[in-house]
Amino acid sequence: MTSNPLRRRHVAVGAGLVTLLAVLAVAQALLDNTAEAQSQGAVRAPRFEVDPLWPKPLPNHWVLGATIGVWVDTDDHVWIVHRSSSTLANNEKALELKTGECCAGAPPVLEFDQAGNLLRHWGGPGQGYEWPDSNHGIFVDYKGNVWIGGNGGPDSHVLKFTKDGKFLLQIGRKGARRKAGAAAGSNEGDVAGFVGGSNDEVSFGRVAKIFVDPKANEAYFSDGYLNKRVAVVDADTGKMKRWWGAYGNKPDDTPLPAYDPAAPPAQQFRNPVHCADLSVDRLLYVCDRVGNRIQVFTPEGKFVKEAFYTKNTKDAGSVWDIAFSRDAQQRYIFVADGVNERVKVVDRQTLQELTNFGDGGRQPGQFYGVHSIASDSKGNLYTTETYEGKRVQRFVYKGLAPVTKQNQGTVWPGSK
Amino acid sequence: MTGVHVRLRALLIAVLSVAPAPALAHDIPRDVTVLLFARPEGQILRLLARVPLKGIMDVEFPRRERDYVDIPRADQALRDAATAWIAGKLEIREADRRLPAPRIVSVRMSLESDASFGSYDAALAHVMGPALPPDTTIFWEQGLLDVLLEYPIQSDGSRFAIHAAFDRLGLSVLTALRFLPPGGSVRAFELRGDAGLIELDPRWHQAALRFVRLGFGHILEGADHLLFLLCLVIPSRRVRTLVGIVTAFTAAHSVTLLASAYGYAPDALWFPPLIELLIAISIVYVAVENIVGTSLSRRWVITFLFGLVHGFGFSFGLEHTLQFAGSHLVTSLLAFNAGVELGQLLVLAVLVPAMGLLFRFVVAERMGAIILSAFVAHAAWHWMAERFEVLRQFPWPAVTAAGLASGIRLLMIVITASAVAWWVSVVGRRAGADGSADRPHSALRRAGRPADS
Repeated sequence: MTSNPLRRRHVAVGAGLVTLLAVLAVAQALLDNTAEAQSQGAVRAPRFEVDPLWPKPLPNHWVLGATIGVWVDTDDHVWIVHRSSSTLANNEKALELKTGECCAGAPPVLEFDQAGNLLRHWGGPGQGYEWPDSNHGIFVDYKGNVWIGGNGGPDSHVLKFTKDGKFLLQIGRKGARRKAGAAAGSNEGDVAGFVGGSNDEVSFGRVAKIFVDPKANEAYFSDGYLNKRVAVVDADTGKMKRWWGAYGNKPDDTPLPAYDPAAPPAQQFRNPVHCADLSVDRLLYVCDRVGNRIQVFTPEGKFVKEAFYTKNTKDAGSVWDIAFSRDAQQRYIFVADGVNERVKVVDRQTLQELTNFGDGGRQPGQFYGVHSIASDSKGNLYTTETYEGKRVQRFVYKGLAPVTKQNQGTVWPGSK
Repeated sequence: MTGVHVRLRALLIAVLSVAPAPALAHDIPRDVTVLLFARPEGQILRLLARVPLKGIMDVEFPRRERDYVDIPRADQALRDAATAWIAGKLEIREADRRLPAPRIVSVRMSLESDASFGSYDAALAHVMGPALPPDTTIFWEQGLLDVLLEYPIQSDGSRFAIHAAFDRLGLSVLTALRFLPPGGSVRAFELRGDAGLIELDPRWHQAALRFVRLGFGHILEGADHLLFLLCLVIPSRRVRTLVGIVTAFTAAHSVTLLASAYGYAPDALWFPPLIELLIAISIVYVAVENIVGTSLSRRWVITFLFGLVHGFGFSFGLEHTLQFAGSHLVTSLLAFNAGVELGQLLVLAVLVPAMGLLFRFVVAERMGAIILSAFVAHAAWHWMAERFEVLRQFPWPAVTAAGLASGIRLLMIVITASAVAWWVSVVGRRAGADGSADRPHSALRRAGRPADS
């Protein structure tokens, strides 16, 4: 038979456990309240972690050149465009030059799935169209068509293909911006041989990016590296519908003085006009890259507001590309800043920068000329890098979190 | 998909890929996603399907310039495609009776950006609504085929099963199926390739049987769980004693498996590597205990504690399978555990006699136990080192109120489970003591006795 002291001990242990559980329950409730209060008071912003294993290595010893466009289609497949061999040094493309076994430039247009597998790949000169000298910007529209711009010397046109690379439409004529008397084939990259034509109804001036509005079936061109305007065309026919410059002014190609952060804002866009993306509430956000600003317009070109970012940035500017968050209201804008090597997280209503992540460097999560940015349906971000960056990276969305740091630096997996 | 199909498809792709580019009329797409809604209402089961046109072979869609679909003339081709590639690939059963071929109520071509298949009501309105404007420019391979099918049924309360054989639409086919039984609930399934016949509203015993099989297979394929089991067998081979210990293990991992299924496990990147590391540590610990000859009277306690850890490990393997549980989540989880238990008993049935023979004819028991345990400890030590390297890549998580609250919830579950186990052991001991004259060894007392005592 169990002795009384043993029974008393069991009762004491049982009572102790019950007391411990009660204390823990109270502590948990208090902490839950604290967490809720903290989350209500703090500014919250999307948090990301780099995915160092995405995408998978390319086949065929292929390497990327300067990677200057990214978009995510309705299947959450990631499309990039890059400049391939034209931006690879000889020691990067020995296989192509037949001087060694590594490597060769990949085809310019590449499609990846969510697992990082390379799916389709195509691009380059072909029959019936003029491939850009320096391709720039990629967009997959609501019908699944792939649009490509170009910022090479004579590039004054935009191309549309199917997802398999079948040519559908060329809008504008290559070489339209060449100065009268300047010979084709020489100094094609020389700006001196070309002149802006921001009021041309047929051709363009080195288009940086395309965005197609499914509601109106209109394509918005960020036009561009030579012109200083937003141009809107019919997405089926390519027929020009309207265009405008900074503040909704009639664009003027007169060269502007060098950017001065202390000077009043320029009344025209600087080159390049680098993005023009339409939000769900039908506001157009335009990147004046070197002007360090985003200008917001109605689809008809009426100026709404503007905001400046890292205003002291000179040279190539701080507003390179934008992507909207994928919540129904698109509450946030992500701004690629290829000089300061960060992605800025901006409140779309106030246009105020909430926080930023990234840093210069070559490790995952760092940047060398972060040039383009896009978001997928799960809220993940994709960036591409130009110059010697030459890569695409994925940043995994980790939910909304209170902002604790303005500059988060490299968002390594598991870091806070 | 059979191996023959895979080889034929690979051959076809190889032949197509060496052909000149212009001859590539239609490649087999690599990834295809099919969306399905199935909703029984009264005497009709409505099935809404969305399939990308790029996966459909042998149907010529009328085209105009630049291979844009000639929408006004496309209706018959869409119906042909719906008959051959959707209705013809579906088998629906009502209480084990195969339903006859369905009526094709409506077909539509849609743009790939169309979002109406986000819900049943929106999809139904879309398929029954106006067609695309006739002048829409849509490249034929970039369109979607939307279909509404109706099957005659006897009752919307019947049991339904579906076999969606869409695997020939692409190299990798994902079918996202949502079943909407009467009552407003929605049951979601993600099926890869040809997943066979799936019960849409499984009875408890059908769900349970599936999970018993899963649990049985899971323990037999898990090298670390098996090594843990081996360590338990080495010093003590009394079957009834071992059943007690193994039951403590199963009860413990049931608790954490249920906790994980109900969302009480930390949802952090570092958590799975931490559990994997703790599993390796559990093996090292028990192996070393075998070598140093620690008393086995309290082994069920340590087995119970490590069982809590292994339960989290099991939950990682179940993440994608719980969709088949229907409304029987708890039943299915317990069935999974029962399968694990059966698997463990099978392993014991093999190991115990094998150990007995080994220690009788090959090596002395004590020496054999030390050698075997040393081998196991060596293997597990390597796992431990490798898993620690993985875990240490994650920095210490920041201490937040929400994180602490989550940790305390988990701790409460562990304490409660341990308290119940302790209480059972106390009651068992008391019962054993009370009836010691004619029942000298209760199961729990035997579980607590050293094997060689």
